[in-house]
Amino acid sequence: MKIGIPKALLYYYYYPLWKVLFEELGFEVVTTKNTTKELVDKGIKVSVSDICVPIKIFNGHVLELLEQSVDYIFVPRMMNIRKGEFFCPKFMGLPDMVRYCIPDIKKKLLAPNISSVSDDISDAKNYLPMCDILGVSSYKMRSALKKGKVAWEKYRRLSIKGYTAKEVLDSMESGNNIKGDYKGGFMNIGLMSYVYNLYDEFISMGMVDRLRERNISIQTFEMFNENVLDSQLRSMRKILFWTFSNKLLAVGYKFLKDSRIDGIIHITAFGCGPDSLIGKVMELESIDYGKPFMTIRVDEHTGENHLQTRVEAFIDMIYRKKVMLKGEANIV
Amino acid sequence: MKVSFPYMGTTVIYKKLFELLDHEVIEPPVPSQRTIDLGVKNSPEFACYPLKVILGSYIEAIELGATTLITSGGHGPCRAGFYGETHYRILKSLGYDIELIVFDAYKRDITGTIKNVRKILNGKSLGYLWKTLKIVYLMAKSMDKIEKKIQKLRAYETYKGSCNRAWEEIQKIYDSVKSIEDIVNAELQSKAILDNIKVIEVSESERIKIGIVGEIYVVMEKSINLKIEEILGAMGAEVERSQYISEWIDYNLLPRWVSKPYELEILKKGEKFIKEIIGGHAKQTVGHIVDYAERRFDGVVHLMPFACLPELVSQSIIPAITKEYNIPVITLPIDEQTGLANVQTRIEAFLDLIKNKKRIRIA
Repeated sequence: MKIGIPKALLYYYYYPLWKVLFEELGFEVVTTKNTTKELVDKGIKVSVSDICVPIKIFNGHVLELLEQSVDYIFVPRMMNIRKGEFFCPKFMGLPDMVRYCIPDIKKKLLAPNISSVSDDISDAKNYLPMCDILGVSSYKMRSALKKGKVAWEKYRRLSIKGYTAKEVLDSMESGNNIKGDYKGGFMNIGLMSYVYNLYDEFISMGMVDRLRERNISIQTFEMFNENVLDSQLRSMRKILFWTFSNKLLAVGYKFLKDSRIDGIIHITAFGCGPDSLIGKVMELESIDYGKPFMTIRVDEHTGENHLQTRVEAFIDMIYRKKVMLKGEANIV
Repeated sequence: MKVSFPYMGTTVIYKKLFELLDHEVIEPPVPSQRTIDLGVKNSPEFACYPLKVILGSYIEAIELGATTLITSGGHGPCRAGFYGETHYRILKSLGYDIELIVFDAYKRDITGTIKNVRKILNGKSLGYLWKTLKIVYLMAKSMDKIEKKIQKLRAYETYKGSCNRAWEEIQKIYDSVKSIEDIVNAELQSKAILDNIKVIEVSESERIKIGIVGEIYVVMEKSINLKIEEILGAMGAEVERSQYISEWIDYNLLPRWVSKPYELEILKKGEKFIKEIIGGHAKQTVGHIVDYAERRFDGVVHLMPFACLPELVSQSIIPAITKEYNIPVITLPIDEQTGLANVQTRIEAFLDLIKNKKRIRIA
């Protein structure tokens, strides 16, 4: 039996867990290829026009999986991974949207409710409702989840070391050793972006590689331990309702306070609700902290050249500032 | 303490609450183009429309001298729950030094609520506050009852505008309410006013009933939704909204052992399409559409602010409901770019379709 996991949204955060889980249960795990223009176009056709790009892309990947004739498609309903916090409403209604937007999917949908008190979502109570559908025993589910948890923890450890999600996932997939990380570039940029925006080459247009090509090292929110991020938000009067947005805001504050970070780039998708508020908060805070901050908003029509020009200008500006501060005129 | 509040729906009710607590109330002006411009200019570009308009309202209230703004918070997970914090930061960056009191859901934040209540109590006793709340609640109930009547009557008025004038007059009557007896009197007077409105007789089978569902702010605030109720009324359609302030109180503020709000029924009806409460009024929206279909309404207008997170989910699901329950639904995203002529044309076409459908069914 084949189980499809769309390569979109939280794939980039939880794939190692889900992959090992289903493989241990004795299923074949199928995922999709990287996002392409054609795939996005497919997704747009079944989506509401005003919805954000990541959801349109997600629908595209689901359609792709349907074409590959998988038996089940895994679309978990992400409820919360902190007490009193939630996911964005679109995540919480995702299985409902998929069920009613994409024809002929009803019987193929695996949509357990996921709720947990920490980033670790391998608690058996979330997955046990799937036992009947998949025809596995609860004992088998529990032991598969344990192995999945180990894989996911390894993934997180490597992320925290400073490898990007793409590097870690590639090495886990191919079984090769992970390539060396890029520490010690001449400039450090903090990237504020959800994993599904940053590592989807279509949305971020290869931002990570683009920066590294210029010998710039980057940091993102998943490179920090959750406790480190939580501690950043203690001073806020009221924190956001969305866990991942909180993480983004927390890492934003961390970047602002960290003198080693030279500038912050916020990559967001058109129509992203939580980001519209975080963006404003960061815009105001970055003025107080005197740190360069730029927002890049991407949708399905964004051109690559515009992105390149803006990133280059931003980098050049920081570079000049650095040089002037050091007084090393000979570099220019 | 000069207090003000966001402008939404029948503001007489909030005004009354703070007046009875002996605060000096600065009533925010009715949202106008200037309000919208002020809000849009100072808000994040992609913030939802209510955030922008409310910000504009706040700025206008501050210009009139308000020093304290009182608003309700939210329990998420939609953006409305973070309005308070965002507004506070933006107002601060604009150089306005005001106090913003946000009442979060008391079940979520008890100490914060107690602190806030102390702030607005103004030295009055808790017993007095209880009495005041009771008056305001009954007033809201009574006004909603009258408003529902007007929404039906408007479709059949002989002289255009007579219902709007009556409503203005009725709001003034309620404005002078001081006790529960006054409310009873006000209701009697209002009913008398409504009885005097001349109407055209239309047979039951030819009446058109339209439900309005969607996000609470754009549904309740007529200056923002381009007076959609009046547009529909002028074209001869009876209107019922999914949101009324008294029902909001029933569901959000009263403990369950006091009232068993209809909204619970609605949520049950929405369960089939959206399993969990995902924030905002998405589940209620789909529930109300099902409810209107079961009550044999002729059509539903679905209003949402542009890019509203929860309503986008319900918008995705609406085609399936339309098919299953055979009820026409039109979705109108609303933001600062929305034009009156566009909405008018679309509503007119929508009603034409409904009238045709009805004619075929009767024939």
